[in-house]
Amino acid sequence: MITLKSVTKKYSADSMGLNGIDLHIEPGEFVSIVGQSGTGKTTMVKLLIAEEKATSGVIEIGGWDITRLSNSDIPLLRRQIGVIFQDFKLLPKKTVAENVAFALEVAGEKRARIKQVVPRVLDIVGLSHKLNRYPTQLSGGEQQRVAMARSLVHRPKILLADEPTGNLDSINTQEIIDILKKINEFGTTILLVTHNREVVNQLKRRVVTLHDGRIISDEDNGKYRL
Amino acid sequence: MVNIVYNNLMFSGFFRIVKFSFQEIVRNMSLSVMTVLILILMLLSINTLMVVRVLTDESIAAVKKQIDVSIYFNPEATTDEIQEIRDYVNAFPEVEQESFLTSDEVFVNFKKNYADSTDVLSSLNEIGTNPLGPTLIIKTRDPKDYSKIIKALSVPEYENIIEAKTFGDTETAIDRIHVITTNVQKFTYFLTILFAVIAFIIIFNTIRVAIYTQRTEIGIKRLVGATSWFIRGPYMVESLLFSIISVGLSYVLVDFFLKFLDPYISVIFDKSNLLSNYLSQNLVSILGIEFGVVFLLTIVSSGLAMRRYLKT
Repeated sequence: MITLKSVTKKYSADSMGLNGIDLHIEPGEFVSIVGQSGTGKTTMVKLLIAEEKATSGVIEIGGWDITRLSNSDIPLLRRQIGVIFQDFKLLPKKTVAENVAFALEVAGEKRARIKQVVPRVLDIVGLSHKLNRYPTQLSGGEQQRVAMARSLVHRPKILLADEPTGNLDSINTQEIIDILKKINEFGTTILLVTHNREVVNQLKRRVVTLHDGRIISDEDNGKYRL
Repeated sequence: MVNIVYNNLMFSGFFRIVKFSFQEIVRNMSLSVMTVLILILMLLSINTLMVVRVLTDESIAAVKKQIDVSIYFNPEATTDEIQEIRDYVNAFPEVEQESFLTSDEVFVNFKKNYADSTDVLSSLNEIGTNPLGPTLIIKTRDPKDYSKIIKALSVPEYENIIEAKTFGDTETAIDRIHVITTNVQKFTYFLTILFAVIAFIIIFNTIRVAIYTQRTEIGIKRLVGATSWFIRGPYMVESLLFSIISVGLSYVLVDFFLKFLDPYISVIFDKSNLLSNYLSQNLVSILGIEFGVVFLLTIVSSGLAMRRYLKT
């Protein structure tokens, strides 16, 4: 599903984001990418959504080489992948329902289908009663659930979660992880970037540990070892 | 089949873009109002300059209208000789108008002008006959053309026919008026360009600030998979709406102020509704140019300002 071959990302002569990464993730896997701050976790996410370009190496998603993606193809890639961020990245002037619908609207989905799907997805994340609220009227956990609903609404095969629990308390963190596990059970490949030890240890799934832009361990049923 | 799907996508995309632009305007009401206000202020200042230019042109035309040159004929000059000179003068394309006063008309006018001067009138009575010859009054299209006409008449053949020309006395005044009017016109052109540049800078920066405040949203839209055009579209529609609203409102304000000013202006120029008539006669071109410039400026400004946020 996701393949990185000798991927390097250099920001400057003395600043290396990733250094010769080789990684293969199978469809339906739940992989945690762990590591201290500045080890290249977020760089990896940025490369996977083409927010940045690799200096060298090849990145393939579902067999599609996205390494030298043209600007016009970037939106197409992003519509295939769900992404959630630590800071939620919700549109503040749009309601909960509009935020979720936006992901379908940019893809040209029909209005009738949007009207049908959005409440259903928001129901899955437990926010069907807050359709018309604005993000500022929600708690951090609720905002993250809206972001999850938005990232799932177009049924992506891959979900990238970049520190999704970084701004949340333990209760909300658990809720988000439970939702991620449920999504994974339906077959979605999940790449969770985190430095939350408890979350990683509790998941008992594959753990890839990064250090100075390199993979220093890759274990199935792994633990947080830093 | 593929074409139908593509067309449906285009239409749904277009309607969504229009919907988003209205949503943005309403939900960012303070920013929308501020943008429109600045556009209106700039249009008002440009329109003020337009009024200044109309008034300047009118003043210059009025001053030029006051200038003429009189050719005083010898009382002994024959009708044929006078007619020959009149035909000669009329043949110049620079001559806008010539009027001829007979000896008797000149005499009547002279007496009218000196009605209060008993010495002059008693001297005339003493002479007993009309000592004044006919007069030809010439107006040219431009004051600078007077010297050409006078030069053409200052030939030996006309020496005995023409007694005097007033141009010698007024030449300096005409030259000065010409210099002043030319400079005033140059100054108003300079002011127009200066205001246009200021308007461009202010509009450009207003739009830049508006886009800057929405840079995070633009980034999020990109991350969700929106194409550049899907993001730019609402801003383009907003630019169109802002341009229409600002040009419309500034027209209403300008029309109101011109109607208020016209009675005062008519006292000076002896023309009623000078400014309102100018506006109504040039309405299509004025509104068209203003709309075109504002729309183009806002589109270009938002496009340039947004470019950097659409890179990733």
